[in-house]
Amino acid sequence: MKITSIRAFGAIRKSLWFVTTFISVFAAGYSADSFALPAFARQTGQNCVACHAGGNFPELTSYGRMFKLTGYTLGERTIPLSAMAVVSGTKMRNTNNPNPAGDPRDDFPMKNGDLIVSTGSIFLAGKITDNIGGFYQATYNTWNTPDKWTGSWASDNADFRYADRFIDPQRDVIFGMTLNNNPTAQDPWNSAPAWGFDVAPGSAWGGSYGKIPASPLVAGGLAQQVLGIGGYVYWDKTIYAELAGYQSTNNKAFTYGNFNASRISGTAPYGRVAYTVDWGGHSLMFGALGMSAKLHNDPTDSSSPTTQYNDWGLDAQYQYILDPHTFTAQVSYLNEHIKYDSGTGGQPGAYDSNSGIANSGANTGTNAQSLTNSSDTLNLFRIKGSYVYRATYGGSLSYFGLHGSSNSAYQMGVSGDPTGLDVNGSPTLFSVANNVTGKQDTTGWTAEAFVLPLQYARIGLQYTMFSKYLGASSNYDGWGRNAKDNNTLFFYMWGAY
Amino acid sequence: MKKLLTIGCLAATVGIVACTNLERSRTLGNPDISATVMAQQVCSNCHGVEGTSISPNFPNLAGQTEEYFVLQMTGFRGQSRADPAGFEYMWGLSRGLSDDQIKGLATYFGKQTPVKNPAASSEKLEVISAGEAIYKNGVAESNVPACTSCHGDVGQGNAQFPRLAGQHADYLTKQLMVFQRTDERPEGSIMKTIAHGLTEQNMKDVAAYLQTL
Repeated sequence: MKITSIRAFGAIRKSLWFVTTFISVFAAGYSADSFALPAFARQTGQNCVACHAGGNFPELTSYGRMFKLTGYTLGERTIPLSAMAVVSGTKMRNTNNPNPAGDPRDDFPMKNGDLIVSTGSIFLAGKITDNIGGFYQATYNTWNTPDKWTGSWASDNADFRYADRFIDPQRDVIFGMTLNNNPTAQDPWNSAPAWGFDVAPGSAWGGSYGKIPASPLVAGGLAQQVLGIGGYVYWDKTIYAELAGYQSTNNKAFTYGNFNASRISGTAPYGRVAYTVDWGGHSLMFGALGMSAKLHNDPTDSSSPTTQYNDWGLDAQYQYILDPHTFTAQVSYLNEHIKYDSGTGGQPGAYDSNSGIANSGANTGTNAQSLTNSSDTLNLFRIKGSYVYRATYGGSLSYFGLHGSSNSAYQMGVSGDPTGLDVNGSPTLFSVANNVTGKQDTTGWTAEAFVLPLQYARIGLQYTMFSKYLGASSNYDGWGRNAKDNNTLFFYMWGAY
Repeated sequence: MKKLLTIGCLAATVGIVACTNLERSRTLGNPDISATVMAQQVCSNCHGVEGTSISPNFPNLAGQTEEYFVLQMTGFRGQSRADPAGFEYMWGLSRGLSDDQIKGLATYFGKQTPVKNPAASSEKLEVISAGEAIYKNGVAESNVPACTSCHGDVGQGNAQFPRLAGQHADYLTKQLMVFQRTDERPEGSIMKTIAHGLTEQNMKDVAAYLQTL
C-alpha cells in the first residue's frame, strides 16, 4: 500500500499536527517517572498487561475488571491525559463498479488502498477522589463519509463512576454508579458490544461496506447519542447486576458530533446480570443483558412517530492467563424485536423492480419506500478466540452471523437495467449498497495477526471474509456482485501515550 | 449570578478533590491509609483478601515471613527486584508506600492462615516424591544443597528466607528460572548459586512438592 492521495496528505498533515501537538504538550508537562504510558498505567504505575489480557487492548483481565468496577480509583492521582492515534490501510477485494452511469468512485471510499492516519483520540482519564473516577474520549476522524476527507472531532466513549467496596474476610461487595454515553461502555467484560469483538483499533471503512451492515440497537446504535445513569453491584466476585436508564440529552460534551436531541422517547431501561468464577489461571463469565428503547423516527423532532426496539442477549467469556500464554474467548448472541408505529409500519406495497424500491400507496411516484412490515427481528451471533504469546505476538479468529426478517423496505436497486434511472430520473443506486433480497443477513469470518513491539503500540493485519452479504452469497445487488467481493484486508498501526 | 456559579463550581471541585475515604480507599501514596485497608482494597485484587491468591500468576502471601515480605516490597519500591512479573505489577503499586505501610502489610499477610493449595491434588505422585527428595536432600551430583536448611523442614520459611509451603508451583518454577538465569533479583543472589545445578525438571519437581505442603 502506498500513500497516494493528495487529499490523504492533507488529512495526514492535519492529524499529525494534532497528534504531535498533544504529544508535545505531554512531553513538556510530564516527563519524569512516566514510563510513557497512558493515563491509567501512570496512575497505577503498572504495565498494560496488569489490566489488559496479554496487553491486548481493550480486553480486560480479572484485575482490570476490578479496576474498572471500583471506579478507576486505584492508584495515585496523576495528569489525567492520554492520546492515541491509528494509521490504517484498507483494501477491498473487488471495487469494480458495474454501473457505468455512476462515478466508479461513488461506490467505494477513495481511501481504498491508501495508508492513512485514520483516527486520533485524546482521553481524560483517571482517579478524581477515593470513590470517583472516569474516562472521557474524544476522537478525531480524518474520514467521515465514503468519499470525503473531512476531518472532524466527535465524542467517543465516556464513563464516569462512583464506586465503593466493602471487603473483609467475610464479605466482598462492590457497589457503584455509572454515568456513560453508550450502553455497555460501562461493562467490564469483552463479550458485551461496546468493548467486544472488533472495537480496536477502529472499523475498517468508516462507512458501511466491508463490515456487518446492521446490528441490534444495543450494539452501538445509541453510542455517543445518549446519556445514561446506572447502578451496579458485584457480590463476592461472583454475581454482577446492573440497572441503568438512558435518555437523549442536550449535553453536547457526551454527544458532540452525534447530537440528536430527541433520539429516545422518554427513558430507555437497560439491565445486565453476570455470573463469574475464577480458578487457577482461568476466568469464566456467563451473562445476559437487555434494553428497551423507543426511538423517534425523526431524531430531531420529539413529536415524530416512534419505533420500539426490544433487545436481549446472552454472552460468555473465558480467559486463561498464565505467562507466557494468554488465551481468551468471547461469545455473544443478541436478539432484537423492532415494532413500528402503526402509522409507519404495515403499509401496503411491495418491491417494485421498475422503480427499484418498495413503492405503493402514498409513496407512489416518490423515492420513499413503503414500510410493509409492522415489525422486524434481527439476531446477531458472534464468537471470537484470541491468543497472545509473551504479550507480544498474537492472533484472533472470529465468526459473525447476522440474521433477520425479510423486509421490502430494505430492498434497493434495479434488477433489470443497470444503466436505468429511478422514478425521480436519478441514476440507480450504488451497487455496493443495493439489496435485492430484502434481508440483511450477513455471515463471515475475520482473522487477525498482530504484534505488540512495545506495550503501547500494536501493528495488525486483519482479513474479513464474507460468505453471505445482505441476504445472498452471490449476486446480492442484482448486478452480479457477490458477498466475497466485499472481503476486506485491513492493516493498522495503533499507538497510545 | 455567573460569579456565584463559578465560586460554587470551584468550591465543589475543592470539596471533591479533598474528599477522602480513609476506611475504604484505594489510594496509593497516602501514608494515612492503614495497611489493612490497603491489603483489602488493593492487594486483595490479586493476592486474595486473606493472602491466598487464585491465579498462579500471583504468589500466596498468607503466612509469609515478615522479613522476606519487607525485603521484597522495598526491592520493588527501589526497583532493584526487576523480574518481569515483579516490575509489571509491583513497581507502581509499591512506589508510594511508606516504610510503616510496608511493615503493616507484612504483619497483615504474615498473620493470615495459609490454606491448602487446591492445585496440589492434581500433581503426580512420582513428581511429588522426586521434588521431596530434592527439597530434603538436594542434588548431590550438581552440588545443590538441601532446601530445608534455609526454608525449613516443611517449607515454613525463616526470617529473610521465604515460606514456600503451599506456594503455586508455576510461580516457584518461574522464580527459580529467574534466579538461575538472570540477575533480576539481586537480593536473592544466594539462590543463583544454589539453583545453578538444577535442571528445569528439578525445578518443576520441587515446585510441585512444595505446592502440596
